[in-house]
Amino acid sequence: MVEHRDLLRSFKDNCGFGLVANLKNRASKKVLDDAVTALERMMHRGAIAADGKTGDGSGLLLSMPDEFLKKEAAKNGIELPKQYAVAVVFTKNREHLDTVEKICLNNDLKIVFTRDVPVDTNALGDQAIKSLPNIVQLFITSNSIMASNRFDALLYLSRKESEHKLVADSDFYIASMSSKVLSYKGLVMPTHIKEFYKDLQDDSFKISFSLFHQRFSTNTLPAWKLAQPFRAVAHNGEINSVEGNRINVKIKSESIKSEVFSDEEIQRILPILQLNSSDSASADNFFEFLIVNGMDFFKATRAVIPSAWQNAPQMDPELRAFYEYHSTVFEAWDGPAAFSVTDGRYLGCVLDRNGLRPSKYIITKDDNLLIASEYGVVDIKEEDIKERGRLQSGEMLGVDLKSGKILKNEDINNYLKSSNPYMKWLNEHMIYLQEHVKKQYATKSNYTIEDLVKRQRYFNITQEVVEQVIEPMMIEGKEAVGSMGDDTPLAAFSTKQRNFTDYFKQKFAQVTNPPIDPIREKVVMSLNTGFGEVHNILDEIPSHAHRLKSISPIITSEKLEVLKSFGDKKSPRYQAFYDNKTFSTAYSKNLKGALDSLVEKVIDSVKNKGTRIVILDDYEFGKENKIIPMAMVVGRLNTALLKERIRHLVSMVAVTGEVIDSHGAAVLIGYGASAIYPNLLFASAIEHLEKSKTINLTTIEALKLIHSSLNSGLLKIMSKMGIATIASYRNSGLFDVLGLSKSIVEECFETSHSALHGLDYEDIDERLTTYHKEAYREDGFNKIFPLNIGGYYKFYSGQEHHDFGPDVIHAIHAFSSSGKKEDYEKLKDIVNKRGLKFIRDFFELKSDRKAIDISEVESKEKIFKRFASAAMSLGSISPEAHETIAIAMNRIGAQSNSGEGGEDAARFNTERVSKIKQVASGRFGVTPAYLRSAEEIQIKVAQGAKPGEGGQLSGHKVSPLIAKLRHTVPGVTLISPPPHHDIYSIEDLAQLIFDMKQVNPHAKVAVKLVSTIGVGTIAAGVAKAYADKIIISGGDGGTGAAPLTSIKFAGNPWEIGLSEAHNALKANNLRGLVQLQTDGGLKTGLDVVKATLLGAESYAFGTGVLAIVGCKMLRICHVNKCSVGIATQNEKLRQEFFKGQVDQVVNFFTLLAEDIRSIMAELGFKTIEEMVGRVDLLKVVEDKFAQKFDFSSILHQEEGVNTCQQKSNPPFDDNAFEYDVLKEAKVAIKHPEHPIRINRQITNLNRSFGALISGEVAQYYGDKGLKSDTIKISLQGIAGQALGAFLIPGVSIYLEGVANDYIGKGMHGGKIVVTSQNQGEAFSAGGNTCLYGATGGKLYITGSVGERFAVRNSGAIAIVEGSGDNACEYMTGGIVAILGRTGINFGAGMTGGVSFVYDADHSFVENVNRELVEAVRIDTDEGADARHLLKNLLKDYVVETGSEKAKDLLGNFRVEVRNFWLIRPKNLTKLPLNLENGD
Amino acid sequence: MREFLTTERIEPTKRLVVERTKDFGEIYEVFNHYDAATQSDRCVQCGDPFCLNKCPLHNYIPQWLKSIAEKDLEFAFKLSNEPSPFPEVMGRVCPHDRLCEGDCTLNDGHGAITIGSIETHITDEGFRQGLKPDFPGITTDKKVAVIGSGPAGLSAATYLLRSGIAVTMYEKSDRAGGLLTYGIPNFKLDKKIVERRVKLLEEAGLKLVLNCEVGKDIAFEDIASEHDAMFIGVGATKSKSAGISGEKASNVYAAIDYLTNIQRKNFKLSYEKKFDFKDLNVVVIGGGDTAMDCLRTAKREGAKSVTCLYRRDAHNMPGSQKEYKNAMEEGVDFTFFASPKEIVLSEDGKAIAVEVVKTNLGVKDESGRQKMEEVKGSEFRVKADVIIMSLGFDPAVPSFLAENGIETNSWGGIITNAETKETTTAGIYAGGDCFRGADLVVTAAFDGREAARNISKSILG
Repeated sequence: MVEHRDLLRSFKDNCGFGLVANLKNRASKKVLDDAVTALERMMHRGAIAADGKTGDGSGLLLSMPDEFLKKEAAKNGIELPKQYAVAVVFTKNREHLDTVEKICLNNDLKIVFTRDVPVDTNALGDQAIKSLPNIVQLFITSNSIMASNRFDALLYLSRKESEHKLVADSDFYIASMSSKVLSYKGLVMPTHIKEFYKDLQDDSFKISFSLFHQRFSTNTLPAWKLAQPFRAVAHNGEINSVEGNRINVKIKSESIKSEVFSDEEIQRILPILQLNSSDSASADNFFEFLIVNGMDFFKATRAVIPSAWQNAPQMDPELRAFYEYHSTVFEAWDGPAAFSVTDGRYLGCVLDRNGLRPSKYIITKDDNLLIASEYGVVDIKEEDIKERGRLQSGEMLGVDLKSGKILKNEDINNYLKSSNPYMKWLNEHMIYLQEHVKKQYATKSNYTIEDLVKRQRYFNITQEVVEQVIEPMMIEGKEAVGSMGDDTPLAAFSTKQRNFTDYFKQKFAQVTNPPIDPIREKVVMSLNTGFGEVHNILDEIPSHAHRLKSISPIITSEKLEVLKSFGDKKSPRYQAFYDNKTFSTAYSKNLKGALDSLVEKVIDSVKNKGTRIVILDDYEFGKENKIIPMAMVVGRLNTALLKERIRHLVSMVAVTGEVIDSHGAAVLIGYGASAIYPNLLFASAIEHLEKSKTINLTTIEALKLIHSSLNSGLLKIMSKMGIATIASYRNSGLFDVLGLSKSIVEECFETSHSALHGLDYEDIDERLTTYHKEAYREDGFNKIFPLNIGGYYKFYSGQEHHDFGPDVIHAIHAFSSSGKKEDYEKLKDIVNKRGLKFIRDFFELKSDRKAIDISEVESKEKIFKRFASAAMSLGSISPEAHETIAIAMNRIGAQSNSGEGGEDAARFNTERVSKIKQVASGRFGVTPAYLRSAEEIQIKVAQGAKPGEGGQLSGHKVSPLIAKLRHTVPGVTLISPPPHHDIYSIEDLAQLIFDMKQVNPHAKVAVKLVSTIGVGTIAAGVAKAYADKIIISGGDGGTGAAPLTSIKFAGNPWEIGLSEAHNALKANNLRGLVQLQTDGGLKTGLDVVKATLLGAESYAFGTGVLAIVGCKMLRICHVNKCSVGIATQNEKLRQEFFKGQVDQVVNFFTLLAEDIRSIMAELGFKTIEEMVGRVDLLKVVEDKFAQKFDFSSILHQEEGVNTCQQKSNPPFDDNAFEYDVLKEAKVAIKHPEHPIRINRQITNLNRSFGALISGEVAQYYGDKGLKSDTIKISLQGIAGQALGAFLIPGVSIYLEGVANDYIGKGMHGGKIVVTSQNQGEAFSAGGNTCLYGATGGKLYITGSVGERFAVRNSGAIAIVEGSGDNACEYMTGGIVAILGRTGINFGAGMTGGVSFVYDADHSFVENVNRELVEAVRIDTDEGADARHLLKNLLKDYVVETGSEKAKDLLGNFRVEVRNFWLIRPKNLTKLPLNLENGD
Repeated sequence: MREFLTTERIEPTKRLVVERTKDFGEIYEVFNHYDAATQSDRCVQCGDPFCLNKCPLHNYIPQWLKSIAEKDLEFAFKLSNEPSPFPEVMGRVCPHDRLCEGDCTLNDGHGAITIGSIETHITDEGFRQGLKPDFPGITTDKKVAVIGSGPAGLSAATYLLRSGIAVTMYEKSDRAGGLLTYGIPNFKLDKKIVERRVKLLEEAGLKLVLNCEVGKDIAFEDIASEHDAMFIGVGATKSKSAGISGEKASNVYAAIDYLTNIQRKNFKLSYEKKFDFKDLNVVVIGGGDTAMDCLRTAKREGAKSVTCLYRRDAHNMPGSQKEYKNAMEEGVDFTFFASPKEIVLSEDGKAIAVEVVKTNLGVKDESGRQKMEEVKGSEFRVKADVIIMSLGFDPAVPSFLAENGIETNSWGGIITNAETKETTTAGIYAGGDCFRGADLVVTAAFDGREAARNISKSILG
C-alpha cells in the first residue's frame, strides 16, 4: 500500500534515449563522443531543477573501455586478467563497500582494486552536490577458475545479495556490475557529464557502444540512482501495466528453476524486482534476470515487449505461435516504450505495440549505428548515410557485435519463430474452450437462477439498472451512455444500497502516459485469457503449452461447464492441469471470519488436493446466507496465495451476481480473477427480454450483445490506462480504493492506491446484512413490483442523494432569475445542510482570527476574476447558450471557456469572445488565430466525466455552423481520440506547451487534469513542463455524454486531487510557479471557501452554469433533444425554448461572491490570496460517522508557499532562433506587398519553428494570413520537433534535410517542403504524428514519415513517400498521397477527406482498417476526377521537391495509376476532388 | 420516447357541455391505447424527474410512461400500483396541474405530459383486461384497526393487507370511501371506481364495519384491545366558518352537506330535500376545489344561476385550474375580487344576498401570494336564494383522542411523528386530513401508506 506522504514525493519519468554502436565492435573515442553529443542535443526532452543546473539525470551505459580500465588498474600496480568485471557503486557510507566485498568473497569473487571515480563537482548543481554519493569502481576478478558464464552469474548474484543486504540504505546503489558493460550516470546535465566524469575525457577511453538516456522526472527530488540507463536497459516512456507486471513477476518467481543458479542461489536472488523503484527499473530488473539466467536475448526482449499478435491476421502464423506460446507465462510490459537493451554482445532497440514513442535510426556507410528519439542528435553527413529509418510499432532492431551484423525486425522474427516448433506444441496441447461449446446461450435453462428476485434485490439490480444498464447493452451491444456527470456521494458515504465495486475508482492515464483507442486501434488489443499453472519461465518445453484458453475473461454458462469438465475426474476430458473445485462465497455470520476460513479452505485445496482452477461461486445465496463481496474474496485470495507462494498454481474464476457492467468485471480481473461468469446479469437480461414487448431479439442475440458490451467495456477500461491486453491488466489493481479500512486494503487490495480509510469488515458486514434483510423483507411493499426502483443514475425521491436534484435546480433557477439574496439563501440552505454527502461536508471552518467587517473584505469584482465557466464546446451546447455564458463571464470580468471545437472569428475582440481557448485531443478548430485570441489556452488532458476516453460527435449533429468552426463538412462524424497524439509522455506535453507559448506568447497555458490518487506527481511534472496553471477537475463533473461506467467509476472527487496536487507541488518547490484551479459541483460560497483552503486559487463551474441558463438535468445531452435549448442544435428548441439570460449568470456569481465575502469576513480574512492552502482552518466535524474516516491525507499541509508567485512560467528554451527570424520577417508582416526570403541553418534544438511567426501574422491578419509565399524561409539541417506547427497562409518553409516529430502540427496554411539528398521511401525524413489537427496548407516530404501520419487532418494536402502505422487516423478532411508503403491500420476512424496510396507490391489492402473507409481503384471512368487530381498533385510535388519517385510515376502514369488506391470514407457521398471548385 | 417535438400534448376528450351538465357522469373520457401510448412517448425520461419528485407518493411516473409507450400495460400496471394504493382514483382527482404535470420538464412551453390521464388509463384498462394488484391473503396473525374509510384509511388498509395483516375498518357512514364517496361529485369520480377498490380490499380480507362511529357505536378501547395497532384517518369534516353575520341563516349551507346529500340522492338514498336547488339562484363563497364541486353540482341540479364569489382572481384560486375551466365551461358565473362582508337576511331570517366589498391585489408576501387589500366604499350586493359556504375544513376532534393520550394541536390536528406517522400514543397511527387539515387525496394516501409501512415494520419486525 502506498502511503500518502510517499505519493507527494513520488515521480514518473520519461525522456530522450538512444544508443550508438560500432557494428564491427571497434572501440573508439568517437563512439563515446557521439553518445555524449546525442545526449546534449536532447536536453529539451529532459528537465532541469530550480537551481538551473541539476538535471533530472542522464547517463551512459558503455561497453567496457578495456584499454582505459587496464591502464587505470596498472597505474595502481594491478594487472587485470582477461576475465574481470567492474562494479560501479554509489554510496554515502564507505563501510558498505566492505559488505559488498564480503558478499563477493563468499561467492568466489575477489575485489582486486577499489577506485574512486574522479569527478569535478563544478559540473553539478547545488541540489546534485547535496546528494552526491561516493562513486566507486570495484574491479572484480574470479577467485578460482570459472567459465565466463559462471563469472557473470556470480556477479549478478553478488549484486543482488548486496542490494538485499543494504536495502535499508536508500543511498546505496550499484549502477552496474558486469564484465561487459559499465555505467556512468548521475544527476548531471548532459552538457556537463563529460566535465563531471573526468574519465570520459581520457583519450584511452574507447568504447564500441553506448546506451544513453536523458531523464525528465515529474518531481524535483531526483536522486542519483534514478538516472538511466540501468544495467541492461534504457527506457523512454512509461510502463502502464507495471503494477500488474510486478505482481506477476512475484507469481512467476514461485516456480523458477534455473540452469544457471541452484535453487538455493535463486532464493538468494529473489525478489527479482528491487523495491520502490521506477517502472523502467523494474523492467530492467526483470529483463536482466531473464538474460542472466540464460534466456535468449531476443526471446527475452520479445517476451517482455511483444508485438501485437492476437488480433493481427497479417502476421505470420509461425510468429504468432511463438508469441502465443510465450503468452502462457509472460504478459506484455505494456505502455509507451522505446527500450534500448544490451547484454554486452547483442544490442537491441524495441518499440511498444502502439508505437507511442519515437525511435529513429541511422546506419552509416562506415558501420556505425545511431538510434535516438530524434534525428539530428549527432552530425552525420548526408552522403555518409547508408540507411535512415525508424522503428515502427512493435518492431525490434538488433545488432550482433560478435558478427558485426544488423538484425532487422524480419531477421529477428525469422529467428524467433524457427527456434522451436511452437506451432506443433500449441496444436498438441492448447485447448480452446470455444471449440468445445456447441451452442452458446441457446439453452435458457442454463441461465435460470433460483430466487431471482431476491438475488436481484441483494445484488442491487434495480428497475433502473434493468432499464438504464442492462437494456441498452442488450439493444446496442455497447454500454449505456449518460450525461451531466455524477452528483451522488461516494459509496462509503452513502446511506443507500451500493455495490461493493462502487468503492473502486478506475485509474486512467494522463500526461505521463497516454490512453489508447480501444475502438480504432483495437488491432493491438486483446482479451485473450488462459487458465492453468504458470510454469517455470526459464525453460521452453512443449508441456508449457498446456493451457485452456478463452477469447474473453467473461464466460458463459456453457463455457464454465466445459471448463469444469476438464477438471472433473469423472469426465473423459480430465487433465490434472485443470483440476478444479467450486467454493461457495456464502456466509451467514461474521464476514471476516467467513472470509478467513474460505481462504484457508482454498489454500488447503491447492496445496494438498491439486486444485488448479478455483471457482468461486455465490450459488448458496439464500434466506440464511449472505454473500461475501466477490472483489473481497478475489483480492484476499490473491494476496494469501501469493504469501503462500502458490499463486502460480491456480487460476480464479468468479461466478457472481455482482457483475452487472464492465466496471464490476474489471475490478475482479484487476485483483486477479481469470474469468467471470456473470450469472445474475444474464438471468436478469433473459427475464427482461421475455417480459419486454419492444425488444425483438432472440435470447442468443441478446446475450451475445451483452457479452460484447462487457468485452468492449473491458477494452475501454484497460485502454484508459493505455493497457492493451487483459493479461497485463490482470492483477494490476489499477483502482483507487476509497473509504475502505486500512486493514481491508492491506489484506485484499494491497497494490492499489487508497484514500479515506474508513469502513472495516464489520461495517461492510453491517451494510450487507441490511441489504440482505431488505431483500427478504416480507411486507406489503415491493409486492406488486418487486424490484427496487433505483435512483443511482437518475434522481429518485427518497433514494440516493443527487446534489443537482430537483430542489437544487429549482432553487438555482429561482435566485438566478430574481437576483434576490433570500432566494439564494434557499439554495444555501439545501446545499450547506445536505448532510455528510461529499468529502468537503466532513470539514467545518475554524478560524485563527477574529471576524472582520465585511467592508474590509476585498470586492466581489476581485473575486470574480477567480471564476471561470468550465469547458463546454459549441456543439455540445447551442450557440445561444455558449454566447450567453461568454457574455456574462466577460461582463463580470471572469473567464468563459470555448471548449473543444473552435470559435467563430466574429466573436474575437468582442464581448462574446471566450477568454479561455481549449485545446483537446480532437484539435477541432484549433487554428493560429483561435489560439492567438486567447487569454488562456487550456490543454484538456482529461475530463471528469470520462478521463482517458475519447469522444464522438455524430454526423447528424454536425451542422453547417459547427462544420465551419471545426473545419470540416456538415454531416461528417467527428471523432476525438482518447490521447492527444502529441502527448504520450511528459516531455511531449512540455513540447506542446512550448508550441502554444510560441503561437501566443501572451497567453497563459493551463493544463486540465482529473483528480486521482497520484495526480500530485503529474501536477509536479506539468509545472516542470512550464505550464502556467493546473486545473484539478473532479471526477464527478462533466456535462457531456459519456458511458455510465465512466461517469460513475473513473476519477475521484476534486478534494482528494486538489489537496494532493497542492501538497505535491509544495513538496517539490513548484507551487510558486503555477496557479491551481479546481472544479466539480461547486455551488455555494462554502464550497468555494473550502476549495480555497485546500489550495485552489480559482474555480470553474460547469453544471452550475448550465443550470443557471435553464438546464434541468434531463441527462439527455446525447440525443439532441434538450427541451430547454441548451444541449442541442435543433433550431426550434434553440430559438423557442432557450430562455437563458446573461443577467441570470451575473446574478448567480454576484450572490456567490457575496456569500464568499461574508464567510471571509466571519473568518477574518480580507483576501482570497491569504486563504489559499490554509488547510489548518478546516477541521473534521464532530460526528460519529465522520470519525470513522481518515481525512489526514486531505488535510495534510506541506511547508512552502501556497500560491503562484510569478506572472508566467517561461520555458527553459527562449526560442531565440525564431525570434531572430521573426525580426527579419516583421518587415513582410508590416508590408505584405513585399515578400521576403529568409535563409537559416537549423538543428534539432530549434523546435516549433514557424509557430511564433504564424502567431504574429494571425495577430494582424487572422486565419486568412498573407498571400502565398509572402514569407519564404529556406532552412538547411535537421529541424527540431513540430516544424511548421500552426503554420499560417503566406509562410513557406523549405527544409533541405530532415525533420523530427509533429511536422505541420495544427498547420492552417502555407507550405512545408522537406527535401533531402537521400530521398525516397527507404529514407525516413519525418517523424511521428505529422499534420496532427491540420486545417489547411501543404506538406511535401521526399522521404517516408513515422506513425500516425495526418492524424485528425481536416484540410491539409500532403504528399510523402512512405508512412508508418495508423496513417490518416481520424482524418476528417484534406488530401493525403503516400507514394510508398504504409503501416497497418490505415484510415482508422477516418470520416472525411481522401487518400491516395501507391501500392506497387499489392500489399496495401491488408493494411486498411475497413470499418469506415473503402479502398477503390481509380483507373475507371468513375475515377477520372480522382486521377486528374492525383496527377496535378504529383506535378506540383515534382515542381516543389524534384522527387525522383514522383517523376517516375508521372513518366509512366498510365501504367502506374493502376497501382494507386483511393481511400475514402464509405459514407462520404461527394468527394472533395475538384480543388478548383473549392472542394 | 422524447417525441415531444413531433407530438403535441392532448387532453383527454371531454364530453360536450350540453351533454355532460345533464347528468352526473364523469366528464372525461379515458385515454384509449393509442393516445396513452403516443402521449407517454413524449416523455423526456429526465435525469431529475421533477414529476415524481413533486408527487407526494413519488409515483414511478417516468417508468410507467415508458412502459405504456412500449405498449406494456401489464408492466405499467404493476409499476403504477406499487407505490399508489388507487392510481385510477388519483388519476382522476389529483390536481396534476399543480403537482406532477405542473413540474413536468415540458411544462415550459412544450406542454406537460398528460400524466393524470395516462395514470387513469393504466389501471382502468388494466382492470378491464383482468389485471389485479396482488394480495397474499391474511398470512399473519396480526390485526390492525383502521378508523375512517377515506383515502388515508383505504391506503393504510391496502398496504397492510398486502403485508398479510388483517384489517378491520370502521366507518360511521353507510358506505366506505369517506370523501371519495360523499365529498367528490360523481362527475369527477364515478362512485363505481371507489366501490371497485373497496371490493378489491374486501376480497383481500378487509373487514368493513359500516355505520359504526367509534366513540359512539363502539368504544375506542374495545377496538384497541383487539388489535395490534390502529390507524386513525377520520379526515377533517368540520366546515370552516367565515365569521360574518348572517351565516347561520337556514338557507346558508356548508359545502360538504350539500355534496353529501346530492350524492345520496344520486345513490337513490334518502336525502334532505332542502338541497334541491332547481331554479334557484345559488351563490357559493370560496374558490377551492370543493367550491367548484358545489357550483358544478348546482348547475347539474338545474339551478337558475350559479355564482362563485372569490376574494382574489382566477389565477390565485387555491384549487385546480382545470376545475375552474370546467366550471366556466359549464356556465358558472365568477365574481372575482369580491370579499364577502355580510350575509344579508330577509325579515324572516332567510339569506337573500351577500354583501361584498371589492378587493385589490398588492405585492407578494413571503409565501409568494399577493396581498389583498379591500377597496373602501366599493361595497355591492349579490342576490342569492341559497348560499353555500365553501371555506375549507378543520378536523372534527373526536373525544376518544384526548381520552387515549393522542394529542392534537391548536386547530385540532393530530400530532404524529413525521417519519413514522405514530401519534403520541404508541401503536396508534394517524394520517390524512385529521393530521394535516383539509388537504389532498394524494397526501392522505401517502400518510396511509407510510403509516402502514411503519405499522408492519413494528408489528412484523
